[in-house]
Amino acid sequence: MSATTQAVATPLLSVTPASIDQVDWADKHYLVVDDFVGVRQLLRESLRSLGAKNIDQASSGGEAMALLARIRYDVVLCDYNLGDGKNGQQVLEEARVRNLVNPSTVWLMVSAEKSVESVMGAAEHQPDAYLIKPITEGVLLTRLNRVWHKKQVFRMIDQACAEKDYLRAARLCDDQIAVDKVHELELLRMKARLMEKSGQPTRAREVYERVLEQREYQWARAGLAKIRLANGEFEQARQAFQGVIAENRYYIEAYDQLALSYQNMGKFEEAGAILERAAKLSPNSVMRQRSLGNLALKLGNMPMAEKAFRKCIAIGEYSIMKTPDAYLGLARVYGQKNDPKEALRLLLVAQREFAHDHPDIQLRTKITEGLVYHESGDYRRARKAGDDLEAMLKATLERPDVPTCLELATLLFAVGVKEAAIELLRYVIRNNHDNPLLLDEVQQIFDKARMPEEGMAMIRASKKEAADLMNQGVLLWKTGKLGEAVAWMRDARKAVPNNQRILFNAAQIMVSCLQQQGYDAVLAAEAYEILHHVDHLLPGQQRFAQLMEQLAQLQPAADGGGTGAGAGVPAVA
Amino acid sequence: MDDTPNAHELFLFLASTAHDMKNSISVLSGTLERLLVDASPKTESAYPQMAHMLYQTKRLNDNLMQLLALYKQVGKPEYPFDVQPLELGQLVDQVVSIERVLLQSRGIQLELDCDRQLIWHFDEDLVVGVLSHAINNAIHYTCDRVRLAIREDGGWLELRVEDNGPGYPPALLRAGEIATRETAGGVNFLTNSAGLGLYFSSEVAKMHRHRGQHGTLRLENGGKYGGGCFILRLP
Repeated sequence: MSATTQAVATPLLSVTPASIDQVDWADKHYLVVDDFVGVRQLLRESLRSLGAKNIDQASSGGEAMALLARIRYDVVLCDYNLGDGKNGQQVLEEARVRNLVNPSTVWLMVSAEKSVESVMGAAEHQPDAYLIKPITEGVLLTRLNRVWHKKQVFRMIDQACAEKDYLRAARLCDDQIAVDKVHELELLRMKARLMEKSGQPTRAREVYERVLEQREYQWARAGLAKIRLANGEFEQARQAFQGVIAENRYYIEAYDQLALSYQNMGKFEEAGAILERAAKLSPNSVMRQRSLGNLALKLGNMPMAEKAFRKCIAIGEYSIMKTPDAYLGLARVYGQKNDPKEALRLLLVAQREFAHDHPDIQLRTKITEGLVYHESGDYRRARKAGDDLEAMLKATLERPDVPTCLELATLLFAVGVKEAAIELLRYVIRNNHDNPLLLDEVQQIFDKARMPEEGMAMIRASKKEAADLMNQGVLLWKTGKLGEAVAWMRDARKAVPNNQRILFNAAQIMVSCLQQQGYDAVLAAEAYEILHHVDHLLPGQQRFAQLMEQLAQLQPAADGGGTGAGAGVPAVA
Repeated sequence: MDDTPNAHELFLFLASTAHDMKNSISVLSGTLERLLVDASPKTESAYPQMAHMLYQTKRLNDNLMQLLALYKQVGKPEYPFDVQPLELGQLVDQVVSIERVLLQSRGIQLELDCDRQLIWHFDEDLVVGVLSHAINNAIHYTCDRVRLAIREDGGWLELRVEDNGPGYPPALLRAGEIATRETAGGVNFLTNSAGLGLYFSSEVAKMHRHRGQHGTLRLENGGKYGGGCFILRLP
């Protein structure tokens, strides 16, 4: 090991990181956000001494958003604490969600002291680095260079991720890990996540274990625990998450996962208590407050539900993450408190606030309205809501997500609108015929409605229908009738648009068609569309990752050409 | 800590006040640094006084930072402790940049001795804070030279801040011993202002754990120049 001795007599701006290729920071466009004018001036002076000429300033989150909407910045220096209105994290989230910053934009979050959020990855959108005041020029330059360098290392990997070609991204990680000691751990962390996203928990586990051989990193421990949770080993997962929290009380994500472990074991009280603790430590997460509210509602703990939903609405006010769920949940709370008037008022607010971004808001508020009336004993109005819902379902082929469907069917049975309920459950089964847990849930809904036999018969028939639909397509494919197989699957997809098994097989048959009959951009686009749709329904599936990789390799422009082999056989039900 | 609403309110109030004070100190030290960079002892008659003001401002900032961190109970699980791998070059660059103007204004030379490529795992913000605090201290005690030497030693990272002054006075060495003792109970040993910095630094050392071992802090006289030595060892 060579020790370099270097005497810095009067160390002027000699903070030159020797090994890093120099970045020209003078040319960049900067945005400085701080509510304190003195700090803004200071940061501007520091940037000027790096040669910067283009420096814009904002004194609030709102001002920052207005500038971000107009101008693409290379570097954003944003204080976390911005007084009233949006905080720095909310500015970052909105900028990312609304695509107002480039992937190459360097985002540095500034704060007076170390915050929980800065450490535990509590938020989904992380800045590139956190800086603690006071900020000196040298520290600023060091961190800017470091982030820039890291972005170079991750550029191709991020690109592959954006294209959802997770397996290519993982290979790029491997290549880089071999040569890059500095970023080794971050690359390993990324690789583990990619393995999770491509449905390969065993390989993710290997990566986490490799990290833990080096050092006791809690994110790797939490990663192992998450794999156990996904495997259904709830008790082991619980112990592991508790171990993480014992080591680091501020590892917020572990609380969320621990609560999930408890929920899976049916221990809702414990889950609620954990989420409550997490919400105390890191109260400004819309998502966590929503989970807490929903869980409290389930537990019948109305004061806790009300508090969580109110907090959720309050933080949502300035956040792009705001959700109608908080309004719907709070309306339920008022229903339970026998105040349907206030509940309806909240539903109206939700309709107004979310009309734009949530096309299903009408349906969802109507469901909640029905529940509120039903729970407060107003059966006449509850039935009326049921009739309205039936009409809404008839008017469109669109169906909400599965949990909403089940909630809706339960309500429809309860208020006596049976036909629509059965029809809706038929849709659920046909689109999820190979999900035994869900079939059980549907059966339970029928049992509760005192229609166990009808339910069983319906489930059996719908299941068979979907399976036949799929098997016929696979049969055509196996007997070499590729064109017919593609056409058949296309029709099957129309009949059951959200059946993951059928969607995967449709994509698989299209891929094999492309492999055997040559590349066809239109067919490839159709396969991509199908795959993105499945990924939307349930992210993190192995077949998704594999098919995405095969499709990308078929692309003629891509170097290296296709693989030829490796086209899997569509699975039969 | 108390969980009553009042305690929470008080905490928020303290946090926002601290935030404000941090801003003021940032502006104060930033402005002083800028003035000092633009001036020289020849052109500016108040140059030595300005240099002293900067030294005092840095002390103020260090103390505030340490108080805040201790209020959050560094060393207890309550502090958001954040270990990451880092190249030593990155660590040294930041410490140098924080101390640059102060060193220059006092006419003190900083000598660096470390392998810039070596990677170690630690909480960057805390260790930068400890080292720059140690250098501020050394500036007070040295004659005209401070040495920052970092090396790997049998599975440990040893970070030394040495100077060529007369060495630490016995009282401070004693305070160092007490502050860094395994079982330092409470804060009642704080008989002088150096105690806070030492206590903070030794807490930071102890937080760094690896395979059943934790970091240590030691003060002694000697080193390359026979002056004071501040020695942080991390596993």
